Amino acid sequence: MKDYIGTIVKNEKIADNIHAVTFALNEDCKVRCGQFGNIAVGGTHLLRRPIAICKAEGREVTFCYQIKGEGTQKLRDMKAGEQCNVLMPLGNGFYVEEHEKKVALVGGGVGVFPLISVLREYAATKEIAAYIGYRNKGAVCGVEEFVKAQKFIAVTDDGSYGAQMNAVQAFAADLEKGNRPDVVLSCGPTPMLRALKSLIEKENIPCYVSLEERMGCGIGACLVCVCDMTDGKRARVCKDGPVFNAKDVTL
Amino acid sequence: MANLSVNLCGVTFKNPVIAASGTYGFEREFNELYDIGKIGGVSTKGLTNEPRLGNPVPRIAESRGVILNAVGLQNPGVEHFIQHDLEWLKSTGTVVIANVAGKTLEDYEKICARLNGLVDMIELNISCPNVKSGGMAFGIKPETVEEVTRVAKKGAKDTPLIVKLSPNVESIAENAKAAERGGADAVSLINTLTGMAIDIERRKPIIANNTGGVSGAGVKPIAVRMTYEAAQAVKIPVIGMGGITCAEDAIEFLMAGATAVQVGTANFTDPYAMPKIIDGLNAWCDKHNVANVSELTGVLQLNQR
Ligand SMILES: Cc1cc2nc3c(=O)[nH]c(=O)nc-3n(C[C@H](O)[C@H](O)[C@H](O)COP(=O)(O)OP(=O)(O)OC[C@H]3O[C@@H](n4cnc5c(N)ncnc54)[C@H](O)[C@@H]3O)c2cc1C
Ligand SMILES: Cc1cc2nc3c(=O)[nH]c(=O)nc-3n(C[C@H](O)[C@H](O)[C@H](O)COP(=O)(O)O)c2cc1C
Ligand code: FES
Repeated sequence: MKDYIGTIVKNEKIADNIHAVTFALNEDCKVRCGQFGNIAVGGTHLLRRPIAICKAEGREVTFCYQIKGEGTQKLRDMKAGEQCNVLMPLGNGFYVEEHEKKVALVGGGVGVFPLISVLREYAATKEIAAYIGYRNKGAVCGVEEFVKAQKFIAVTDDGSYGAQMNAVQAFAADLEKGNRPDVVLSCGPTPMLRALKSLIEKENIPCYVSLEERMGCGIGACLVCVCDMTDGKRARVCKDGPVFNAKDVTL
Repeated sequence: MANLSVNLCGVTFKNPVIAASGTYGFEREFNELYDIGKIGGVSTKGLTNEPRLGNPVPRIAESRGVILNAVGLQNPGVEHFIQHDLEWLKSTGTVVIANVAGKTLEDYEKICARLNGLVDMIELNISCPNVKSGGMAFGIKPETVEEVTRVAKKGAKDTPLIVKLSPNVESIAENAKAAERGGADAVSLINTLTGMAIDIERRKPIIANNTGGVSGAGVKPIAVRMTYEAAQAVKIPVIGMGGITCAEDAIEFLMAGATAVQVGTANFTDPYAMPKIIDGLNAWCDKHNVANVSELTGVLQLNQR
């Protein structure tokens, strides 16, 4: 972990309300899939914005972000050549065990971006099936990456692209056909993760979920970003996560 | 190279920059970024006799120039701290200040007695606005400030006791004096100001606790004014904090009467804020021919009105 200086190489719209920014870092950085960066947007914004590292190639790292509030608006308005401080890589990331050959990715909303990093890391060594849910056709992005998976099923809430269902329903339908993965990796809105967790518990398939929470430090020091664990304890999303075994967390 | 060292109640600090409680954890995380032995001192996350889970999330919100937090004193308990963190923390060479909180007077005495002699200093949090039992009840009125300080000092017999004052009070000067009467060896201020931030789409406060403690750059003028008033009111040393972001901010507090300063929220914005402030203090002193940073304490002269 280091506070890198990132110089913007490109910053462009990739779908409705979603932009991708690529930084050239001032030093080498070793990243694993599912980790995130904490981006300083400056000015009167004292907190950094935690965003998943979508791609990391040498010193170039790409983050895909939804425009939500003032911080992401500010990021959107930054031009090539401008600089941001990026504290990274943070969090534990996703791991696929040696014996887990078939991997299912289940993602929705901004949760699709960390799953792209998984695909990039494991596409060559694992059999990957991606079940990705978008709000509508305009929100579809990352397709050029997901097509690299052995199987890619895209669905939308309104049926304007792929079938009309959510990512968990798409995964469940495939499961019913007998396509059973060795492990499920997921990221997306909490209701989606909750539905996935209850499905997975019935099926007894290992499942790892990446969580989101508002952060202070991003490095495990301030105890701002906690989530509830099934053992009654609380864990830090930024340091103990963001990836947790679904059975260990209360959603 | 200016001499940045300061002496607080007989404890020598390499420099007057201390990590503020709650923003720096138990320090291991920041040590991955730089050697925390360079920092003058660290005040730990608020410790209680028993472990605490703290408040539900979200625990933080942002408003221009400030943040609000309501962590609610989540901590692993004082015994866990003593067994797992204390030795390591001491080995870094920084001054170790244990920040403590309690529900009752007995809690304060007990935790101070437990830490007495083990840490370099104890900082009494009687001003946490985020939990009913965070000691805030003791921190409001001068009478109770004096009482809790006296009881805590019985526990902290041999270890210098800092009383951390709340800004959410009628008179900071009166409360500083009350802490001094109760036997405090120093006072620190300010803790966070109580605030609220609303998510207008949901028509609800952003923070689960509804209200949160406001800190960060925007609170600095209030904190400087209060540091000045407290320093005028007491003879014991004052530690100033609230919104410090750079060396120039720290110097304002020193001039207003602080012997040392603490840095909290700035660690979130820039994780290297404290080493940068220390380097900046050194550069400023050299440029202004200040041989010892301690010469700056209280040099403020008010305008003649
Ligand atoms: C580990 C992690 C990875 C993430 N990855 C992505 C990603 O790849 N793409 C993406 O679009 N979004 C991602 N998010 C969500 C992203 O952090 C928020 O959308 C963003 O911080 C909103 O900032 P803002 O200034 O636009 O919104 P504002 O509402 O103005 O932000 C105010 C404050 O709240 C925080 N905040 C608001 N919403 C969230 C949220 N959902 N999660 C955490 N903090 C929040 C902000 O960081 C800021 O401190 C991720 C969050 C986490 C925790
Ligand atoms: C996330 C967070 C947690 C805090 N926890 C504590 C605490 O446990 N005990 C305490 O005395 N003060 C706590 N504080 C208050 C700070 O130590 C400090 O008094 C305040 O933030 C003002 O300084 P700043 O503007 O530099 O942050 C906390 C502040 C923040 C932002
Ligand atoms: S954000 Fe500080 S502990 Fe996670």
